[in-house]
Amino acid sequence: MKVQLKNIWKIFGPSPKHILNTIEASNSRADILADTGHVLAVRQVNLDIAAGEIFVVMGLSGSGKSTLIRCLSRLIEPTEGQVIINGRDVTTMNESQLRELRRHTVSMVFQRFGLFPHRRVIENVAYGLEIQGVPAAERRDKAQQILELVGLNGWGDHFPHELSGGMQQRVGLARALAVDPEILLCDEPFSALDPLIRRDMQNELLNLQQALQKTIIFITHDFLEALKIGDRIAIMKDGLIVQVGTPQEIITNPADEYVREFIQDVPRSRVLTAGSVMKAVSEIPGFSKNPGILTTTTLQDLIPLVAALDGPLAVEDETGSVVGIINREIVMMALAEQGATE
Amino acid sequence: MASLSFPKSTSKRKIKPFWPVVVSLLLLLLLGAAVIPELDLFPESWNIGLREPFNEFKRWVVINRTTHWMFVFFFEPLSNALDFIIRLVENFLLWLPWPVTMVLFFWSAHKISGLRLALLVSGCLFLMGMFGLWEASMQTLALMTISVVIALGLGIPLGIWSARSERVEWMLRPVLDAMQTVPIFVYLIPVVLFFGIARVPSAIATIVYALPPAIRLTSLGIRRVPADALEAADAFGSTDRQKLIKVQIPMAMPSIMAGVNQTIMMALSIVVLAALIGSGGLGDVVLKALRRLQVGVALEAGLAIVVMAILLDRFSVALGQFSVINQASFRGFRLLPDRWRGIGWVDWFENGLDGLYRWIERMTNRLGQLLPSPLKPYQDALLFGAFCLFFLFILLLSGVDSFPEGLNLEISRPVDALVSWMQVNLYEIGNTGLGTGPFRDFLIIRIFLPLADFLTNVVPWPVILLVFGAAAWQTGRRRLTVGVILMLLLIGLTGMWSFAMDTLGQTLVAVIICVLIGIPLGIWASRSNTVDRLIRPILDFLQTIPIFVYLVPVIMLFGSGSVAGLIASVLYAVVPVIRLTNLGIRQVDQTILESAEAFGSTSWQRLLKVEVPLAAPSIMLGINQTIMMALAMVIIAGLVGATGLGLEVVQGFANNNLGRSVEAGLAIVLLAMVIDRITEAWAEKAAQAANL
Ligand SMILES: Nc1ncnc2c1ncn2[C@@H]1O[C@H](COP(=O)(O)OP(=O)(O)OP(=O)(O)O)[C@@H](O)[C@H]1O
Ligand SMILES: [Mg+2]
Repeated sequence: MKVQLKNIWKIFGPSPKHILNTIEASNSRADILADTGHVLAVRQVNLDIAAGEIFVVMGLSGSGKSTLIRCLSRLIEPTEGQVIINGRDVTTMNESQLRELRRHTVSMVFQRFGLFPHRRVIENVAYGLEIQGVPAAERRDKAQQILELVGLNGWGDHFPHELSGGMQQRVGLARALAVDPEILLCDEPFSALDPLIRRDMQNELLNLQQALQKTIIFITHDFLEALKIGDRIAIMKDGLIVQVGTPQEIITNPADEYVREFIQDVPRSRVLTAGSVMKAVSEIPGFSKNPGILTTTTLQDLIPLVAALDGPLAVEDETGSVVGIINREIVMMALAEQGATE
Repeated sequence: MASLSFPKSTSKRKIKPFWPVVVSLLLLLLLGAAVIPELDLFPESWNIGLREPFNEFKRWVVINRTTHWMFVFFFEPLSNALDFIIRLVENFLLWLPWPVTMVLFFWSAHKISGLRLALLVSGCLFLMGMFGLWEASMQTLALMTISVVIALGLGIPLGIWSARSERVEWMLRPVLDAMQTVPIFVYLIPVVLFFGIARVPSAIATIVYALPPAIRLTSLGIRRVPADALEAADAFGSTDRQKLIKVQIPMAMPSIMAGVNQTIMMALSIVVLAALIGSGGLGDVVLKALRRLQVGVALEAGLAIVVMAILLDRFSVALGQFSVINQASFRGFRLLPDRWRGIGWVDWFENGLDGLYRWIERMTNRLGQLLPSPLKPYQDALLFGAFCLFFLFILLLSGVDSFPEGLNLEISRPVDALVSWMQVNLYEIGNTGLGTGPFRDFLIIRIFLPLADFLTNVVPWPVILLVFGAAAWQTGRRRLTVGVILMLLLIGLTGMWSFAMDTLGQTLVAVIICVLIGIPLGIWASRSNTVDRLIRPILDFLQTIPIFVYLVPVIMLFGSGSVAGLIASVLYAVVPVIRLTNLGIRQVDQTILESAEAFGSTSWQRLLKVEVPLAAPSIMLGINQTIMMALAMVIIAGLVGATGLGLEVVQGFANNNLGRSVEAGLAIVLLAMVIDRITEAWAEKAAQAANL
């Protein structure tokens, strides 16, 4: 595991440690605030995040996402619990060890960009290298490379305020990537952008990830965004993680009412795949293979096929072997489930 | 909400029965005063006798200056070092042939901000030369430079420190607040006590006086750096030091540079007063000329000070932009303040300059075309060099050693002539009883003297205590009430009661006039954009003029004394009431105005029932500032013979009776604090009332 969170708590208020010991599982966040004046921002979070994964944390405003992600590099000090990165306990690190971790291993992209307005784009990108003491020429080259990577070639000598929001966030991303971190923390990086730009940036991030294979922890309050980019999604409510799973798992099997609320408006045909709804069989006698239907094909693409053909169709995995069958009935049931739960 | 307003209404009820008590006490005292005449005057026998110990101390200082360790190891070395540096800079500036100085200024201004600033700066310097005040100007410039550099050298680090430590901020804040309340004059006293009268003490007074804005604005700028920038810096593993140097200071730069600008302007505003304790330079010229009633010379030197103020102000503003943007932006910098943008003639002027600048650029480019190609990359440098040489050449022709007499702009003689003409012809116009003379006499005989007499001799001193106490009580602050009464008592105990009442009376008259002029003008300006645009540059200009310079033209008309002080006070102090009345009304919420309109209010009703009440906090703040400025000016007018506490300080200096200056200085501080705290409390009360 790349990153492990063990029993992480964060309580804001005058005496958090003391409050921590008095909290019982049945106490709600609102009660605790009313009774003690303490804000329970993060509550007993346990997560394991694998290397190379895009792990999305999603939840409504105020659910504690920003607090949680900041506990990872101790920008906010957790009240209780352990953060383990690459097998090392971050929570017990001293100042200089922590600084080294932030300089080389963990990097961050912010919702409102957090760019330095007095520095040119290239100087912003080179900031992380600069404070590591990398020589000027070297860091300039490196920053230039990264700028090209995020598609900002030629903008290096501008100031951030001369760029559009989307471009500014590219700078934010470039700044985080410039130090070549293993782990990228993104706190709602695309929330401040308008929808079209946001979609571009999501695609851009996915493309970059294919090449770079970082471990990315990505916060959002937009479920569609979570579905689109997340390998796995954790859903947070009032500081608690209520469900963790792949997008399909969450859609097909929501843990509670809160999660169901989220998935309500999701166009299921675009998220559900043949793999997640098919009837699993290993051998299909008497059918010729129907090429082109993979486990990752979305229902949206399947609908024309099942509409045209009456019989069941075979579903293949990446290797080309048949793993299940699908027919009109299965597809319609999967799409109808949405209505059935309401 | 209900539970909140309940205790408030009871506390108001508690205060109400206070007024009958005050009124009956007042009546009783007035009656008593009629029966027991001694009650009028503050009892002499209560004097705590501050004067002698201080004079004693001063004598001790004079005797022990060469022997006591405190002087030998601390004050003298400090004084010597400072004196050495000042002399070094001064001698250098005086040694430098004047055309070289001009070219140096021209060059650095060109470097920082381009041709516009370069032309302005050299024009200003040239004017100083034309007034025949080159040497005095260089002396002042030397003193300014050193004082400002030291003030910034102390102030910026202190500001950084106080931004990073709550403890330091907590300790510094009351000191800075107090420093802002204390009128300029008082700064001179302790300095003279330890350093005597010379160039060094005036530098020290200047440094101390100019220090607060550097500290305040540095600290403010750093504290205002947005949290997300700091978080980003943290997230990348910056050390505290890196965060400070790479993020906080650069991002606070606009604020720090505003502090630098204010520090310079503060230093310049004390320049005439510093002459009182031996600074030399332009201030000295003004002071001596005024004492000899050579109004023309005083006006020349006063103008030179204003010109220097403009030069330093524009220069430091440009420097600020330069250090923030990090590059010379030739056309970005406007000569006139940015706030004036949109005023007809200002835009016209700036556009004209733009045109001129573009023309020069075109010409130089065309000339550049003629250069042989290997020299082309150096086109700019070469052209600029040629320009400087040409400039130098012209100036060299007209004389190097001292500013050429031929260029003198003799304004002192015509001014003197004008002054004597005015004294003859305006003093009394025919037999009409009109003119400046009768006006002055009227003010003095009918208003100042009776008022001072009324406050000191007719009204028993306890009544004044009571009135001030009641004014403080009315704001609902007990501690303030007690403090105010104690401070006033202390003024009496130092034997300064009657002088303080004289000063108070003059301040009162000035403030009343300011309010009568300022509030209507402010309202008018808030109604009419034309008026607003018309008066904005005038108000700005009035605020750029160093405080003392106001007195010079006024003296031309009214001679020296309290009346000159009054008129200068009004000119100087009227600015904040106008400005804050205007601002307060303009900031009234548009939706509230619309709803007033919807009920069919007339324009007058809207003004009186909605706008003025809502602008009241702002107006009160303006009045507070006006009072403090009027007080400062009334005191400074002591230099030209206006009676009261200011004159006491001056005479203490002049007669080697420092104890007297100390007593008067202390009384000034106390009076200023009393008035400031009461009006401030009233302004806050008005703000609270407007919020409810
Ligand atoms: N420094 C703080 N002091 C006190 N309470 C805080 C502090 N920071 C956050 N909180 C509280 O903790 C809770 C979680 O905040 P957090 O910023 O982590 O939410 P979030 O999920 O990121 O919300 P958003 O989507 O709005 O960014 C909120 O109720 C917030 O008010
Ligand atoms: Mg957040």
